[in-house]
Amino acid sequence: MQPVLVGAVAYTANVVPIWEGIREYFQGSEVEMDFVLYSNYERQVEALLAGHIDMAWNTNLAYVRTVGRTNGECRVLAMRDSDLVFQTVFVARNGSDYKTLTDLKGSRVALGSRDSGQARILPQKFLADAGLADGDVQLLTFDSDVGKHGDTGRSELDALRAVLDDEADVAALGITTWNQLTQAGDVGVEAVWTSPEYCHCNFTALPTLDEARAETWVSHLLEMDWDNPEHRQILEMEGLKKWVRPQLDGYASLFEAVKEQQIPDTW
Amino acid sequence: MTVTEGERARLAIRLVEAVNATATGTTVLVPLHHPDEVDIVDQWCRRTDNSVLAIHDEAVEVYRGRLSDPSSSLPADRMPGSRLWMYTNFHCNLACDYCCVSSSPQTDPRSLSVETVRRAVNDGIAAGVRELYLTGGEPFMHPDLAEIVDICTSAAPTVMLTNGMLFRGSRRKTLDAMPRENLILQISLDSPTPDLHDLHRGAGSWQRAVDGITTARSMGFHVRLAATLAAGAPHEEAALNALCERLDLRPSDTVVRRIAKQGVATRGVVISRGTVVPEVCLTASGIYWHPVSATDDDMRVTTDLFPLDKAIDAIRTEFLDYRRKGDMLAAAFPCA
Repeated sequence: MQPVLVGAVAYTANVVPIWEGIREYFQGSEVEMDFVLYSNYERQVEALLAGHIDMAWNTNLAYVRTVGRTNGECRVLAMRDSDLVFQTVFVARNGSDYKTLTDLKGSRVALGSRDSGQARILPQKFLADAGLADGDVQLLTFDSDVGKHGDTGRSELDALRAVLDDEADVAALGITTWNQLTQAGDVGVEAVWTSPEYCHCNFTALPTLDEARAETWVSHLLEMDWDNPEHRQILEMEGLKKWVRPQLDGYASLFEAVKEQQIPDTW
Repeated sequence: MTVTEGERARLAIRLVEAVNATATGTTVLVPLHHPDEVDIVDQWCRRTDNSVLAIHDEAVEVYRGRLSDPSSSLPADRMPGSRLWMYTNFHCNLACDYCCVSSSPQTDPRSLSVETVRRAVNDGIAAGVRELYLTGGEPFMHPDLAEIVDICTSAAPTVMLTNGMLFRGSRRKTLDAMPRENLILQISLDSPTPDLHDLHRGAGSWQRAVDGITTARSMGFHVRLAATLAAGAPHEEAALNALCERLDLRPSDTVVRRIAKQGVATRGVVISRGTVVPEVCLTASGIYWHPVSATDDDMRVTTDLFPLDKAIDAIRTEFLDYRRKGDMLAAAFPCA
């Protein structure tokens, strides 16, 4: 069968070894693959819709937009186990005494890039769901890596810096960034509220991708094994222990947020 | 600890930001604002499966990912500190034109005393040495060789390098009194026929070496044949094997090595600490990186023979550092 062409966004230098490793893993399999790197998720989604690539390794926002652009006809092929349990953490200085999101009324909240699900779009929804209307909190936003949908974590670090600089009381971080930071020990800030789990990235394809070809590719992808040192090297870099079949319920909160915040399908 | 929580948080941000932007297998400098921050960086790296590669004055060099164990590619018997070489003396009955330590009859002997050998063997074994090697010069010119061999073979398997030309008179008796167990005599024979051997070592030396091998074998010694070849010289493996058979030696008891550009050799393999796996070598002048460079000041690790374990540790540490950096460069090469 013809190799499939996968799109991915180059948000870090590690993207190259990751996808070269995955491509190598598929060499000699029934459906091999190659990849194309894009500078941002908008370019990638456009390329998918134009048929330049067979599937896109999308963030949750890129997926939501693809659903919008295809009237729901696109389909998800696979995800990382870690994509099923993504969370946002609101953090404040130790001893700040915030217990719930409603306690944040009147405070200064630092958020990340406007296209980051975990650092901006969902945090705004969580605040709204907690009854904090516009004006109840003072938002301080950092559009530091627009186009990468928050993948670099840079805007989250900028938001945290604002807390340390006393320009903000609270910052919203993705769970991955928060876990990385706390490996340095007590960093003087603490989690005050952690969101329910939601879904993050997935392989998005158009209906035009032959189903048998897609299934053969996905089946082989799912066979990557954490206990195999060669596979593990790639899995570790990409931040997962195993690839899983799609579970789409976890995208519901982002679909709602995009609708509520009237975020367009195109940027 | 004088690093405040706020400083720790800012350091954590710098670490996450720098390392996330770095490709696995490459390094990034993370600036330090306080010397105590080194410990935090180290802790963070260990918890996140990254590695501190080097500590500079105002920054830490972080390697993204786990460093491979630089010693994993070496068999245990080649790990620095597993072998201990001792130059019993530097003078020699021959003056080979490629001698790596410039030995000749006129060379200052710089002999090791029996007591120095005894202490080196005791300290070496305690530090993990598993094999002993005696070389020179010509060891059979050392007046106390019998006692030295006795000390060594009582402690560990011992290999003694000799040109095999002095097994006559009192030295033959000295040889005969040596133990057959735990001792290998490695006798130099550069070629299966006299021409090449005699060219480097002097006329008639090939036949005398062959006679020495025959003598040692007849006394029941385990003999190994060692050929030193110029770079590019043919190995002549088949002819050497045939000679081994004639001399009652096993073909596997053949060592072939290239001439090193050391001592009086004007051409040969260039040796440096960064390119040669060390084999700790003790001489009267100090501890050297490798026996092939035992008169090269650049390869001398220390002029203090003792404590020997510290010198072994220093050599092992320096070697692993070279190996680690070498692994990293090799990994980084395709990116250039």
